[in-house]
Amino acid sequence: MRSERPPVLFVVLAAIGVAFFVLPLVGLLYRAPWETALDDLTTPEALTALRLSFVVSLAATALALLLGVPLAWVYARVPFRGRDVVRALTTLPMILPPVVGGVALLFAFGRRGLFGQVLDTVFGIRIPFTTAGAILAATFVAMPFLVLTVEAGLRSMDRRYEDAARTLGASRWLVFRRVTLPLIAPSVFAGAVLCWARALGEFGATITFAGNLPGTTQTLPLAVYIALETRPEVAIMLSLVLLVVSLGILIAMRDRYLRAF
Amino acid sequence: MLKAQVAVRLGTLDLDVTIEAAPGEIVALLGPNGAGKTTFLRAVAGLVPLTRGRVTLDEVVLEDTARGIHLAPERRPIGVVFQDYLLFPHLSALENVAFGLRARGVTAREARARAGSWLDRLGVAEHAQSRPRALSGGQAQRVALARALAIDPRLLLLDEPLAALDASARGDVRRDLKRHLASFAGVRVVITHDPLEAVALADRLVILERGRVVQTGSPTDVTQRPRSRYVADLVGVNLLRGTASAGHVAVSGGATLQSADGVDGEVFAVIHPRAVALHRARPEGSPRNVWRGRASALDFQGDRVRVGVEGEMPIVAEVTPAAVRELDLAEGGEVWVSVKATEITVYPA
Repeated sequence: MRSERPPVLFVVLAAIGVAFFVLPLVGLLYRAPWETALDDLTTPEALTALRLSFVVSLAATALALLLGVPLAWVYARVPFRGRDVVRALTTLPMILPPVVGGVALLFAFGRRGLFGQVLDTVFGIRIPFTTAGAILAATFVAMPFLVLTVEAGLRSMDRRYEDAARTLGASRWLVFRRVTLPLIAPSVFAGAVLCWARALGEFGATITFAGNLPGTTQTLPLAVYIALETRPEVAIMLSLVLLVVSLGILIAMRDRYLRAF
Repeated sequence: MLKAQVAVRLGTLDLDVTIEAAPGEIVALLGPNGAGKTTFLRAVAGLVPLTRGRVTLDEVVLEDTARGIHLAPERRPIGVVFQDYLLFPHLSALENVAFGLRARGVTAREARARAGSWLDRLGVAEHAQSRPRALSGGQAQRVALARALAIDPRLLLLDEPLAALDASARGDVRRDLKRHLASFAGVRVVITHDPLEAVALADRLVILERGRVVQTGSPTDVTQRPRSRYVADLVGVNLLRGTASAGHVAVSGGATLQSADGVDGEVFAVIHPRAVALHRARPEGSPRNVWRGRASALDFQGDRVRVGVEGEMPIVAEVTPAAVRELDLAEGGEVWVSVKATEITVYPA
C-alpha cells in the first residue's frame, strides 16, 4: 500500500469524524455506575428485558432462517418475471423507518387489520401486543439482512459442484442439503449473525406493533428507553450490554466487514 | 454402447453432433475452445436438456426429445470426471468417493468400505482423510476418478482430465490415467483440446469444430489425413483444398500443384513443412512445383524455424536457422518455393 502525507484539513476533519463516534461511547463509559453495575444489571426489569430480548432475537433469527434461506435460493436460482420488484419489496425494511414498518404490521396483523381480523375471528389468534408480535416485528426488520447475504453466497458459489453431485446420483434435495448448504455455510452464518444483531437492537417496529409490556414485549432497547426516565444507571448498563454485543459481532465478522475493502 | 444424437442451442453455440462409442474403445472428443465439447458432455450427462435428439446407452433411452423422455442426471448410469475435478471441498477424499454410494442408498458403513477400496485401487488410500485442497493435482484427479467409478457407471465421461495439472506432472498422470481407463469395462469418452492428450489416450478421435463433427478416425488416420485447418494446424502440416484431375490439383486460390497420387475430384492435399524447400533463385531440377513468395512470419522451434511464405500459394516451410540468414528471411526476403510432387499427399475431400 502507498502511504502519503495527508493534508492538514483532512486530518482535522477526519479527527472530528472519529470523535463524533467515540465521544458518545466515552460519555457512556464515564457515566457508567461501575460500583453498582452488577446490581443494576440484575434488577428484575433488567433481567426480564435481557431474557425477553434473547428469546425474541433468537426466535426472529430462526424464523428468518426458515423463510429466508429458501427465499434467497429462489432469488438466486429461479429467474421469474418481477423478481427485482419482489426482491426490492422484501429488502425495503432495511431502509424503511422501523416505526413505519410497525404501523404497516399493525394494519396488516392488528385486530382491525386486513389479515389480523381473519386471524382473530376465525382462529382466535391475536398477534399485536404479544411476544409473538415482538418476534414478528423483529423478523420483519432483520430478515432482509439474512436474505441478501445468503443470496450473495448462492450467486458466488460454483454451481458445477451441484452438477457433480447430481451425476453422482443425488436428488435435488440431497444436493441442497449435502453440497449447496455446506458450501454457502459461511454466508448463512454471517447472514444469521447480522440478522440476530439487527433483531436484538430492534425498537421502532416493536414498540409500534407489539407495544411496551414488561415481560411480554419490552425488549432491551425498549427497556433502555424507559429506564432513562426513571433509573438512568440501569439504562446505561443495558446500553453497555448492547454495545458489547455489537462490538463482539463486528470483531467476529471482521474478515467480512472490517477488511472488506 | 453409447449412441448420442445431440442438438443443443445455447447462446451463440449451435451444437449438432452424432457420436457413437462402444465399450472397449476410448473415444476422444477433440476440438478448440468453444467448439461445444463441454456442452456435449453436459447434455449426455443430463445437465443440459437437448433441444433435439436422442441419447441411448446400452439400449436404454436416456433422452429422446421426440418422445419427451428426459432422465434426470441422478438417474443416468454415467460417471463424470469434471474439469478441475470439482471434489467437494467440505468433504474428505473418502467422503467424496462415498458420496455417490450414499446418494444411492448404500449404508454409511458399506459406502465407506467401498470408497476406501476404490481409493486403494487408484493408489491414493493414504489420502483418504485429506480434504481436496490438501491434494496435489494428480491425487485430486485419482480421487475424482474413484468418485466417478464408485457408482459403477456404464459410461465414463472425462472433461479435460489433465488440463488442471502443471506440465511437469502431466506425463505421469496421463500414463496412470490410461492404465485406469483400460481397466474400466464400460464406454469411455474423453474431452480435450490437447491433441497430444487425445492421441495418447484414445483409440478413436472425433474432431469437433463450431458445434459439428468435422472428422472421425484413428489417431494415425486423423493426423495423416487431416480434414480441417484446425487439425492440420494441430499436427503442423499445410492443408490445401482443391480439385484434382490427372495428377494436377487446382488449389482454391488459382494455383496448380502436381502430385504423384492418382486421385480425382474434390481433394485435400497435405504438404509437410519439411518437404517445402526455399531458394534464393529459381531452382532447376526435378521439383515439379515451383513458385515465388515472400517470407512473412518466423517461428523458432528449437533447431528448426517455421517460415510462413506468402504468395500465390501461401505455405509454411521448415528450414534451419542458417537458411534464415542466408535467404534473408527475417527481412521478408523474396524466395522461390519448391515442393516435389511425391511429397504431396492427396486424398478425397
